[in-house]
Amino acid sequence: MRILGRALVTALVALFALVGLAGTALAHNQLVGSTPAQNATLETGPASIELTFDQPVQAGKDLNTIVVVGPDGTSQWQDGTAVVKSNVVSVPLRDLGPAGVYNVGYRILSADGHSVSGQLPFTLTKAGTGTPSDQPLNASAPAADDSTSAAAPQNANDEGVPIWVWIVGAVVLLGGGVLLAAKVGGSEQ
Amino acid sequence: MTQTRATAAGNRYHLVGVLVASSLVGVLVGLAITATAPIPGLPQPAAVVRVGLPAVRVLLDMAAVVTVGLCLLPLLVGLDHPRSAVPLLRGARRMAMFSSLVWAVTALVALVMQTGEVRPGAAVSFAAITEYVSTVGAGKALVFVAVFALLCFALSVWSLRSAEAIPAELRAAVALFALLPLPVTGHASSWRWHDFTMISMELHVMSAAAWTGGLGAVVVVLAGNRTLLAHTLPRFSKLATACLVLVTITGVFNGYVELVVSPTLTLVEGVFTTGYGVLLLLKTGCLLALGAFGAHIRWRLLPAVSAHKTTALVTWAAVELGVMGLAFGLATVLTRAPIN
Repeated sequence: MRILGRALVTALVALFALVGLAGTALAHNQLVGSTPAQNATLETGPASIELTFDQPVQAGKDLNTIVVVGPDGTSQWQDGTAVVKSNVVSVPLRDLGPAGVYNVGYRILSADGHSVSGQLPFTLTKAGTGTPSDQPLNASAPAADDSTSAAAPQNANDEGVPIWVWIVGAVVLLGGGVLLAAKVGGSEQ
Repeated sequence: MTQTRATAAGNRYHLVGVLVASSLVGVLVGLAITATAPIPGLPQPAAVVRVGLPAVRVLLDMAAVVTVGLCLLPLLVGLDHPRSAVPLLRGARRMAMFSSLVWAVTALVALVMQTGEVRPGAAVSFAAITEYVSTVGAGKALVFVAVFALLCFALSVWSLRSAEAIPAELRAAVALFALLPLPVTGHASSWRWHDFTMISMELHVMSAAAWTGGLGAVVVVLAGNRTLLAHTLPRFSKLATACLVLVTITGVFNGYVELVVSPTLTLVEGVFTTGYGVLLLLKTGCLLALGAFGAHIRWRLLPAVSAHKTTALVTWAAVELGVMGLAFGLATVLTRAPIN
């Protein structure tokens, strides 16, 4: 048991060293406020949607998304991409169109690296004159890729591959590693 | 009453299967509890990521638990019975070699999947992964885990080549150290209670791993040898008691803090109305069951094992490992569940 104790002490020392190194608060972000408020009833649409979280949001290209879906369930009314400023994520809003329930959907990357998503509806009582965005976010193909490829030209020829290709690669890697290890490590005897 | 068969360890590898299978069941149950409807207009991560990521994460946890248990085993067995212990411990090192390899590869797969998760719909390129690692703490943690698991693998291989080259303490320390980075990036901590929750979460993970892995390793490797088992099980029992106490205290503390600092919910609402709270209650249930099974092994079976008698230890250990796997599966979903 003394040996075991020593191993635990080693691990504990390492633990405290690690805790000393890590400085930032890391937890899931939670939505604490928004403009417009959840289930608000408005006569005219606001200029922008602002979501306030309890902690800073991780900023980065395409990491945070806000969409505003109109009463028809398909038209999108956000104007451009979301901007992060500490713990506030905002997106400009177009002039709204028909009266009805608009739904704000968001996905942000919290400080601990996990995605947090949610939605909050608001109701427009007077029809506006605006038209929906002609560049809606598409669920299957990321429209943002075209607009951002100019900023990162080296990514243009670095085509990504689907997740399953990575998984197959990992399984092959693992299988090869196991075979190699069995050879190097010797037989059971 | 099923009896411990005093035959080759091959008969008891199914215990590892029980642990892994129940952990996957735990993940599926957890996912079902925390499932949310897709949000209109918002791109969703592919199904392979939504279900695959927690599954890979729990496999990572299981590989880590098995490795930690096998690396702790030489310390539990001690040096009192070298003749019978040496071949068994060599087998344990061999198993640790494979499990640490699985640990490293699952960490890399989890890294790819988490990169895919933050930009739903986009394919994952190498550049995207490096960017994820450089911007997100969880990415760095997974790289760290992969490197340390590989180090653990290398140490296991080396110790197989020359048995005396690597002190067992070093292998145990490396394996335990590799557990540390990931809890820091779960919602281990919250601003006000930051340092305490982080330390408490690390202790929670380490003691859960030592408890589960230790039980698995002792039963799978040693159950065929009554002398070694009679010598080792009482020592493991002390370790398990300490782990049970630590897991309970740290688990209650972290769950309480996570719910209390939530700006939008009260504690009671949090426990009973959120997916997070329900998972917490389920894990409490698992812990109570584990305490009961542990008590049965400690008070009923241990005296017989110490007297070198045949017992139903393997059966009870299988049940206990099953519940432990379930708790790990729930925990994997819990660390990712938002509180709302």
